[in-house]
Amino acid sequence: MLRAVVMAVSIFFLAAAAAAQDLQSVLQTYSDDIAKPSRRTVGDAITALIDSDLPEVPAFLQAWQEKNVWQNVDTGLFYYVEGSDPVTLIDLSTGVAVGTAPKAVMSQIKPNAGVRGVIGSALVQYQLLDPDYNRRAAALDAISRDGSAEQLAPLAASIADEPDAGLQARKERLLMMLTARFAPSSEDRVAAIEALSSDVSVDVRAGMNQTLTSITGVAATLPEGANIAAIREVGPDFDVNTAYAELASAGLAQPTVTEDDLKSALVANIVDGQIAGVPVATMSDPDERIRAYQGLVDAGLAAPFVPMADREAAVAAHVFYTQYDEADQAVTDAAAAAIKQIELKVGAMQTADLALDAISLASIYFLAAIGLAVTFGVMGVINMAHGEFIMMGAYTGYVIQQVIPDYTVSIIVALPVAFIVTFAAGVAMERLVIRHLYKRPLETLLATFGISIALQQIAKNIFGTQARPLTSPSWLDGALVFNDVVAISYIRIAIFVLAVMFLCLILFILKKTRLGLEVRAVTQNPGMAASMGINPDRINMLTFGLGSGIAGIAGVAIGLYAKVTSEMGADYIVQSFMTVVVGGVGNVWGTLAGASLIGFLQKGIEFFNPSNTLAAQTYMILFIIIFIQFRPKGIVALKGRAAGN
Amino acid sequence: MTKSFLATNRSVLVFLLVLSLFTLAVTVMAEATGYGLISTSFVKTLGKTLCLCLIAIAMDVVWGYCGILSLGHFAFFGIGGYAIGMWLMYARTEEIVAGSLANQPLPATAQELSDAIGTQIFGVVGSSDFPLIWSFAHSLPLQLLAILIVPGLLALVFGWLAFRSRVTGVYLSILTQAMTLALSLYLFQNDSGLRGNNGLSGLQNIPGVSASQDDVSIWFFWASAVALGLGYVLFAFVTSGKMGSVIRAIRDDEARVRFLGYHVESYKLFVFTITAMVAGIAGALYYPQAGIINPAEIAPIASIYLAVWVAIGGRGRLYGAVIGATLVSLLSSWFTGGSAPAINLGFYKIVWTDWWLVLLGLSFVAVTLFFPQGIGGLFDFVAVKRNSDYGPSEGAWRAEEGKPE
Repeated sequence: MLRAVVMAVSIFFLAAAAAAQDLQSVLQTYSDDIAKPSRRTVGDAITALIDSDLPEVPAFLQAWQEKNVWQNVDTGLFYYVEGSDPVTLIDLSTGVAVGTAPKAVMSQIKPNAGVRGVIGSALVQYQLLDPDYNRRAAALDAISRDGSAEQLAPLAASIADEPDAGLQARKERLLMMLTARFAPSSEDRVAAIEALSSDVSVDVRAGMNQTLTSITGVAATLPEGANIAAIREVGPDFDVNTAYAELASAGLAQPTVTEDDLKSALVANIVDGQIAGVPVATMSDPDERIRAYQGLVDAGLAAPFVPMADREAAVAAHVFYTQYDEADQAVTDAAAAAIKQIELKVGAMQTADLALDAISLASIYFLAAIGLAVTFGVMGVINMAHGEFIMMGAYTGYVIQQVIPDYTVSIIVALPVAFIVTFAAGVAMERLVIRHLYKRPLETLLATFGISIALQQIAKNIFGTQARPLTSPSWLDGALVFNDVVAISYIRIAIFVLAVMFLCLILFILKKTRLGLEVRAVTQNPGMAASMGINPDRINMLTFGLGSGIAGIAGVAIGLYAKVTSEMGADYIVQSFMTVVVGGVGNVWGTLAGASLIGFLQKGIEFFNPSNTLAAQTYMILFIIIFIQFRPKGIVALKGRAAGN
Repeated sequence: MTKSFLATNRSVLVFLLVLSLFTLAVTVMAEATGYGLISTSFVKTLGKTLCLCLIAIAMDVVWGYCGILSLGHFAFFGIGGYAIGMWLMYARTEEIVAGSLANQPLPATAQELSDAIGTQIFGVVGSSDFPLIWSFAHSLPLQLLAILIVPGLLALVFGWLAFRSRVTGVYLSILTQAMTLALSLYLFQNDSGLRGNNGLSGLQNIPGVSASQDDVSIWFFWASAVALGLGYVLFAFVTSGKMGSVIRAIRDDEARVRFLGYHVESYKLFVFTITAMVAGIAGALYYPQAGIINPAEIAPIASIYLAVWVAIGGRGRLYGAVIGATLVSLLSSWFTGGSAPAINLGFYKIVWTDWWLVLLGLSFVAVTLFFPQGIGGLFDFVAVKRNSDYGPSEGAWRAEEGKPE
């Protein structure tokens, strides 16, 4: 009787609310649900609010979610409030002040996090139509983060009126993804999945994988109507014991005696230094342990072993399978096919991305090694301090950034200054040390190593041991993103461009200038060059300065991408030497080939074991050692007279 | 030509005499066996220095006599250290684990024991299984054999590949440096099976020995001295006589020796391999005194320092290498230890911990430029001067080398 009355009253109120089209009256209908909402019960109230089609509902939902709605405890009416005690009451519909009330009679409505979530998903449909671009974008973000079936209809409805083309495309894509996961009809979902199968983005792949989540199961016969992903056969990957353990944990078979069970049973039954007649001292032998345990079993003190034959029979009597969480087989088939197609595409893209990475690594090696190729390749001088010239260039860049705060200007200034500084250092080193050692190449190695450790320590004394930043200008921040798989940072592109510029510059100097001609002449035959009026001392000095100067510029470039420390040169020196040696000494093209080979090789090896760059470097070095066995003169070997001795 | 080995190498006797006097002096001054004038840690430092001298003479043979500037001998040194370290660590952990498992009601099975040791050793790299490389770690004789076999085999394979394809001079140096870098990078990985950059530690504790570190340190000192003495005699023998002449001739002009009909590659391979094995022994004696070994120890820079010692001491004479290694490593620990007095220049104070490497680097440049014969060259002023070659009948010594007395 009472229930009938309540229903009649509520129907009356509902009708009244619908007729009156007044927010306050709708709220009063669900007064308790609004004022003390719980996640379970708030749904009805929200549905009613949305069904009322009132224009102020979105604003109210927003305010409700943000805990800005207050209720007058005496009258039960809801208001927004302003000011402190006494507070000004503001009408929910009109937004005008309708009076004041002492704060004591007002109670703030604080929905909990669960309820706020429900309100939030109800709000999404309004936000999708919000005039503010950012709000709409935020709503899309929310959906793609946590999609649900309810959002399907509002999202579909919002597409036609979307003014922004970019957002419209996003909405359509999101709709496709929601359709693939939540649409009621199987055909729609399959169609959506097939449409998505050319999309390689991370969220599509995640969505597909969510469709394909599965659980393992075991039963006497395959369950009817279940969407079976695969039947697991007992074999090398899935042995009888694992299978039996699964049976036991599913309650379909008697558990076996585990190692721990055995041990605790033995420990529990030690009597006078013996277990079932077997002395404890012999328990270090596993066979003795089993014999003792068997004794306990015979005495009825422990659970018996399950013989192997029984286990095999039990496993054979059951079928092991994995089952999709998704019940619809057409959908899972389509998703599996789509995943396969996407993975193929992702694989191709990853190869492209890897190639970009490899090119940028090769550029770095090239930059680091090209100066060495000049000094070592052309002059035959081993400069172990080459790495320290790189470091010197990077620190020059750092110092200049301390003086010139504008990053763009400072980098533009730093490049020539670094060249000048390291050019001077190189010339000084050539004049003071290396010139005396041209006849003793191995000792050049040692002397320049001495200089290298001295320079490293001096840098440490001046700049300290911590890494110094060399900040790139803001237009080099970020990355050129092709899609979720293929991307390359602008810095790496800049380094690549720099490497190409240097390749051209070095080639130009060596092939087209007087200096280059003289350098090549001195390289081939110093005596003859000298008798032609070339001063070999001067040429050697300039060549060495040039090689060192390029190292300085490489230092600025490397410093932009890695940290500037006193040891940064040492990280590159061995790789640089190998680049030159692998490429072929005395040839710029050889250095390019060597850098490309090493860059691609290292990235290629890293691809097989991405977590382990150390292993990649190890295998790369081993490869180079073996490579040199077969081509001791490098990839581009000089022939004829240019090869020298 | 018919004179006995010792008669032609009088420096061997002098060296052995000096070494025994030094050993005796240290024994008398040590905590365990004498008056306690020098601390145990200093005995260890001296013992380590003797090991460094041993690898330095090996380096001298391969570089100063045979002309191969190997930047990889410290890798062999490290391998020797790892080989002995594996046994020390395994056996020591076994003792500890067996002790703690003995308190359990049931005696442990072999499997339980091995699992517990594995967890103890490899827990630090997130593993508990014994990698394949540890298969022989339980056996001291096999690991002792590994000290010789592994560096020897690596040197043999690497040398065979390199010498066969006539990689010489600077290229060979870079190649050996690459080998060292590859090895140290490999060992830096956690799944290399040798505890990654944690390395092996606690090596100063000798399993089954309850004696104090005072005693253990002097035992290792004696062992190092004996090894150095034997190594000196071995290398003096290798570098004397006809074989020594061939080896030095390879250094001076490889092609000419080849044309004379000698199989240059075999000689080089022999020298490279035997020095690698001696380097392994030196490492196996060094690291139990150091107590810890990690991959940073065998980074390429260590091998270059080795070349520095030999160059400063004087190439082409074994005692030169010993002098260089002793002087530089002791000076280095004196300067970097902070006991060297700082020099106040008024406007700047030179603190040697910061400036020692600069000094070392520059003095190294100076030695290379001005004293290619190193400190050992000073002995020539004492000895009878000769201005010309000694001639083929005397083993073709060059005037710069001086004839061994």
